Amino acid sequence: MYRYDEFDTAVVRERIEEFRDQVSRRVSGGLTEDEFKPLRLMNGVYLQLHAYMLRVAVPYGTMNSGQMRRLARIARVYDKGYGHFTTRTNIQYNWPALSDVPAILSELAEVEMHAIQTSGNCIRNVTTDVFAGCADDEIEDPRPWCEILRQWSTIHPEFSFLPRKFKIAVIAAPKDRAAMRTHDVGLQLIRGEDGETAFRVFVGGGQGRIPHIAQEIAPAVPGRDLLAYLTAILRAWNLLGRRDNIHKARIKILVASLGIDAFREEVERHFATLRREDLRVPDEEVARIRAYFAPPPFADLPRTSGAFDRASLADPDFARFARNNVRRHRQPGYATLIISLKPQGGVPGDITADQMDLVADLAERFSFDEVRAAYEQNLVLPHVRLDDTPEIWRRLAEAGLATPNADLVTDIIACPGLDYCSLANARSIPVAQALSEQLADLDYQERLGPIRVNMSGCINACGHHHVGHIGVLGVDRKGEEYYQITVGGSADEQAALGEIVGRSLAADEVAPAVGRALDRYLEVRREGETFLQTVRRLGADPFRDAIYGAFNAVA
Amino acid sequence: MKIVTANRLSDGRVIYADASGDPVGALDQAGRFDGDAADLALSQAALRPATFVNPYLVEVDGGRPSGRDRFKELIRSQGPTVGNSLERP
Amino acid sequence: MQWLDTAPEGARLPVTTPLEEVEAAARDAGVLVLEFDAFRDGRGFSLAAVLRERGYRGRLIAEGRLIPDQARHLRRSGFDGVVLGPGADIEAWRRMDAAFSATYQPVEEDAAPIWRRRTLARATPEAVVKRLNRETRGGNAEDILCAALDPSLGLRPAILSSFGAEAGVLLSLAARVDPSIPVIFLDTGMHFLQTLAYRKALSERLGLTDVRLVTPDPSERADLDPDEDLWRADPDACCDLRKVRPLERALAGIDAVITGRKRHQTLDRHDLRPFELFQGRIRVNPLHDWSEEQVEAWFDAEDLPRHPLIDQGYRSIGCWPCTTVVKAGEDGRLGRWSGAAKTECGIHLGRRTMSVG
Repeated sequence: MYRYDEFDTAVVRERIEEFRDQVSRRVSGGLTEDEFKPLRLMNGVYLQLHAYMLRVAVPYGTMNSGQMRRLARIARVYDKGYGHFTTRTNIQYNWPALSDVPAILSELAEVEMHAIQTSGNCIRNVTTDVFAGCADDEIEDPRPWCEILRQWSTIHPEFSFLPRKFKIAVIAAPKDRAAMRTHDVGLQLIRGEDGETAFRVFVGGGQGRIPHIAQEIAPAVPGRDLLAYLTAILRAWNLLGRRDNIHKARIKILVASLGIDAFREEVERHFATLRREDLRVPDEEVARIRAYFAPPPFADLPRTSGAFDRASLADPDFARFARNNVRRHRQPGYATLIISLKPQGGVPGDITADQMDLVADLAERFSFDEVRAAYEQNLVLPHVRLDDTPEIWRRLAEAGLATPNADLVTDIIACPGLDYCSLANARSIPVAQALSEQLADLDYQERLGPIRVNMSGCINACGHHHVGHIGVLGVDRKGEEYYQITVGGSADEQAALGEIVGRSLAADEVAPAVGRALDRYLEVRREGETFLQTVRRLGADPFRDAIYGAFNAVA
Repeated sequence: MKIVTANRLSDGRVIYADASGDPVGALDQAGRFDGDAADLALSQAALRPATFVNPYLVEVDGGRPSGRDRFKELIRSQGPTVGNSLERP
Repeated sequence: MQWLDTAPEGARLPVTTPLEEVEAAARDAGVLVLEFDAFRDGRGFSLAAVLRERGYRGRLIAEGRLIPDQARHLRRSGFDGVVLGPGADIEAWRRMDAAFSATYQPVEEDAAPIWRRRTLARATPEAVVKRLNRETRGGNAEDILCAALDPSLGLRPAILSSFGAEAGVLLSLAARVDPSIPVIFLDTGMHFLQTLAYRKALSERLGLTDVRLVTPDPSERADLDPDEDLWRADPDACCDLRKVRPLERALAGIDAVITGRKRHQTLDRHDLRPFELFQGRIRVNPLHDWSEEQVEAWFDAEDLPRHPLIDQGYRSIGCWPCTTVVKAGEDGRLGRWSGAAKTECGIHLGRRTMSVG
């Protein structure tokens, strides 16, 4: 993985000193809260219901064990002993004091981490495929390009006061495992006609109040022109995007209102007059960054593993874990292992400091010192030997981290909701917990197959409810928490927005209603058909009937 | 009746203005004000930006938040209803 | 960046103006003032960047609701100045403008973005040497040393020191810049005891934290010089065994060697330059143009301890068998390999490339 050189180190250090200066001016009255707020947000500091929240960047989700241990230490020393992984593959702490933040940032800098641009109206942390470097359908590892984007977007002089936030995702395979088309800009790495790296560029995706799936703006931008093309997109939006209404400021609204063709013309006009040479990253610099992401020194191993097979036969619990959480790796004898942060009845995405330390140990010992954060709010050990999976599983199980539910119905994405968030209308966590408890039967979950349930506590959609196969959105109805259900959303390469099935439900009605929809799916599905495929074939009606039938019958 | 609430600048914790306008941590210690007195209390809190961040008024009824955001204000006053912060005060 | 009390006369437009109108106004304006209604409205940064890229060369001034933390955004987008309102904290503006020493983005000012600086740092050694000689032209010893140690170059430097008569100059200069710099001392096994004592005393006095003693390979020594008298029969071979070969091993991972060589010392050194390329490594000679008088003056001014043998008439001090006293007024270097045509031990020449004759 990437290591800082003296320039990266200097930028991060200088950023901390800058923030220290800003905090001290806020305290002394040199900055008002209105002036300070965007500055603290661009350093990851929110003010939530009960306290500040600090969101630490995990660039493109990749960490080493030293970084994970430092995250654990920060949780212990400055917070309440836990952290929360987000759908942007960042980690947030819910209780730090503002006065401690410069010290926390210094601790992060020591392990080459930061909280720069994890919030605010700027270019946010770039996300990518959590299986980068492992998946066999990958054209090339997308992470060097993510790192190039990270550097280019860091403290950008022109793009730090944008109309609204700006999110970029990069994938490098036909299969989209990063919800690429829900992003302001989605990049799909392809081979250009000259055999060099190029990018299919999508623009104008986003969730929130008015969700859009990103549309293709360019079929193949050469890698050497990527930063220039992105500059042209951002420039067009920065000059034309709306600033009068926060809900209409994202680039998706501009793209939708101009139409993709007119927006493309606008971008190409800027692209034509850009000094492109200045934005061209030298080949040797691309090569330098790529070298950091070279495959680890894999051993020559047989494709199958006796230890893995024996454990699968001997222990049905391990066999279930292996079925659901252990994924094929392109290197024979290796696997990618998903650590679910969705224990039965738990808080999705939460992890304690002790658990972080354990994951760090396992990464160091078994996975070439690498651990990833997935946008589904789970962790991943990217490169483990099949031979080692029984041992890893045992140690995860001892720490409560071996829930065998990756991509199953209880692998729920949920935002912190009204328990923490000042924007939320309703709580997300208790509803997710109730559903997780109700569907605890793992045999039943496996029978249902892959189903993504996503929950947001408000229309800002941090819990990605629009693109959940089943989405749950918390709304406020005269001071009471209610929840709207959608079905048929999807964040993959056939991205789609879910359809609202009907009137919103009270908190205690949500889990039973989802249960009825799932039962209906088992009744109507064809052989081998996933939930999403069934919804696509039949539409939302059968599920609407299942959810509301009970009420209608009573009425 | 109304109370003045905000978050404290130094650590972000929920605070209320007591009867004399000083910050207190518990809702039941908050000063309760009527009409113009509430607006005055709010403007006094706003004059202390190094303590009160974004102060605003909350309607209370019998010492409990009422009004549209009553549930949010209840959670603010009592902490998260679930989760990993509960075990550790 | 200019900090202005009032805006100069010129065209004035709010940043909400469409780009085409701003460009039209800029076409015949020598001064253009862009007014920010709200500091969060970042359109002005893009307007400035576009104007500059499309060739606007007039003055570009920002005015309005801006905060000190935006100083460098303004400068890097192409503004020349900002109008500070009454009561503005100009010190905060200055601090925030200087908050960062490097930027990842290409910018309107001259400073190269980080990736260009990285590429420069990794350019061919020939190019680096050429550039450094150009950049340090007219500079003094400390300038040369600082240029070599600039972290943006990414060089891994070391000082080569004999801890001889004049070594205190280079070492004291280096200790000012970075006392943790590696200092390589070729411990030939033939040094005067006084030199070893001086090494210790001088290192302590200057606070050097990384003095590396480099010794000959014991098996090579047993093989080539079992009786420790090779210096009599073949001083070149002796230097090769005790200096050239050990140095080569010690320099693994080092790509810039800083020496105390001076032009006046030998004929071969007459055209010594501050930076040169030697066997693929950069040699840095901060004292290349120093005279003996300057060296003397430096020792006096810095009150540096002297090598104990100077009082006994030694002027250039190497291993005891090949170093002699010189007469007052004679070239100090004459005391080395006295009576032979040899003037260099070889570490500055390459392995046995020069014949004794």
